[in-house]
Amino acid sequence: MERGDLDEARDRFAELVAIHQRRASRIAYQYLRDAAEADEAVQDAFVKVFSHIGTYREAWPFEVWFTRILINGCLDRRKARARRDRWFVGGGISSTHEARASVSKRDGDPERQALARERRARVAAAIDRLDGRQRTVFMLCHFGDCTPREVSAMTGLNESTVRVHLFRAARKLRGLLRAKP
Amino acid sequence: MRPRHLDDDRLYECYAAQRRGEPVDPPAAEHLTDCEPCAAQFAEMARLMDMVRVEGEAEADAVFTPERLREQQQQILRRMDAVARPARVLSFPGRMMQRTIRVSTLRSPRWTAAAAAAGLFLGIALGASYEWESRGRMLPTLVSRNSLGSRGAHLAAVPSRGAGDGAADEAFMLELETALDRPHTRELAAFDAFTPHFREIKDQQR
Repeated sequence: MERGDLDEARDRFAELVAIHQRRASRIAYQYLRDAAEADEAVQDAFVKVFSHIGTYREAWPFEVWFTRILINGCLDRRKARARRDRWFVGGGISSTHEARASVSKRDGDPERQALARERRARVAAAIDRLDGRQRTVFMLCHFGDCTPREVSAMTGLNESTVRVHLFRAARKLRGLLRAKP
Repeated sequence: MRPRHLDDDRLYECYAAQRRGEPVDPPAAEHLTDCEPCAAQFAEMARLMDMVRVEGEAEADAVFTPERLREQQQQILRRMDAVARPARVLSFPGRMMQRTIRVSTLRSPRWTAAAAAAGLFLGIALGASYEWESRGRMLPTLVSRNSLGSRGAHLAAVPSRGAGDGAADEAFMLELETALDRPHTRELAAFDAFTPHFREIKDQQR
């Protein structure tokens, strides 16, 4: 590839990163609940997409292809973390603390901060209690704004199966969040 | 007659369609307008799901601030550069490369394998014959050692000594002394000079 072509490709890809970055970070963060890991997962996904751009088929929008790569990476990381946790006792600063710190900086009212913290903790705990596939489907639909058809293409699950998982996840979440803490 | 109430799944479908900006299923939309309990259920579910979405996004956005996203983008671009422009491979000096190529392309002739096999066979044969020979030499030594051991055991088992036993002891001690005079124990000659000899004591007693 010529130097000029490479620079142009780089610039165009930088635009693509800017468009999808926020959404990708949200999805990765919801999956991993750890800022550093989510950051790495997003970076890995973009780099992988860049190096395999030749294999992209336009049957699905770029978003779908990219999200599939991203969630596969996130799932691998979750598995690796589960393996690590089996052998080591974790002791790092969790990104929940990081998020709390960011909230404190932005929001001055301590009561509102405490309430927001509590709400977020409840939501996160409820999502974490979902079954693996339910969580994946729910997060892609809810945080990734994907349709069940797109989720079906991303996960390889049947579209009706995706709907079933989505409904079950919504029902379970409602049950968990309506219950008194 | 009013149709049955909408179930949770149907309500969620209506909510998802509304959120995506798609048209809600007309019969369901009509029912939601007419049926108060279903409308209340729908409103409650929509509020809860919106809360989940807003809280989740707010939490992620609190971590991934615009600065952090900018930094992430820069990092991605740096990594992309590394992928697009791989490290330069240094070539080895020409002469060494040629020699390596010549060595690696040489074909070993058939007789090499035959010679290796013959060498292996000879080695095994020689090793076996040497072992056989040394075993033959070792056998008498082992026999004499065993006989000496049994004699020692016999002597230890008998508490009182007769005249014949004394002669045997004497012969044994003399044997030891002659053994000490052998060339391989010359290093101990100085110690030996200071030690009283059995032979000398015996002579003095006489």
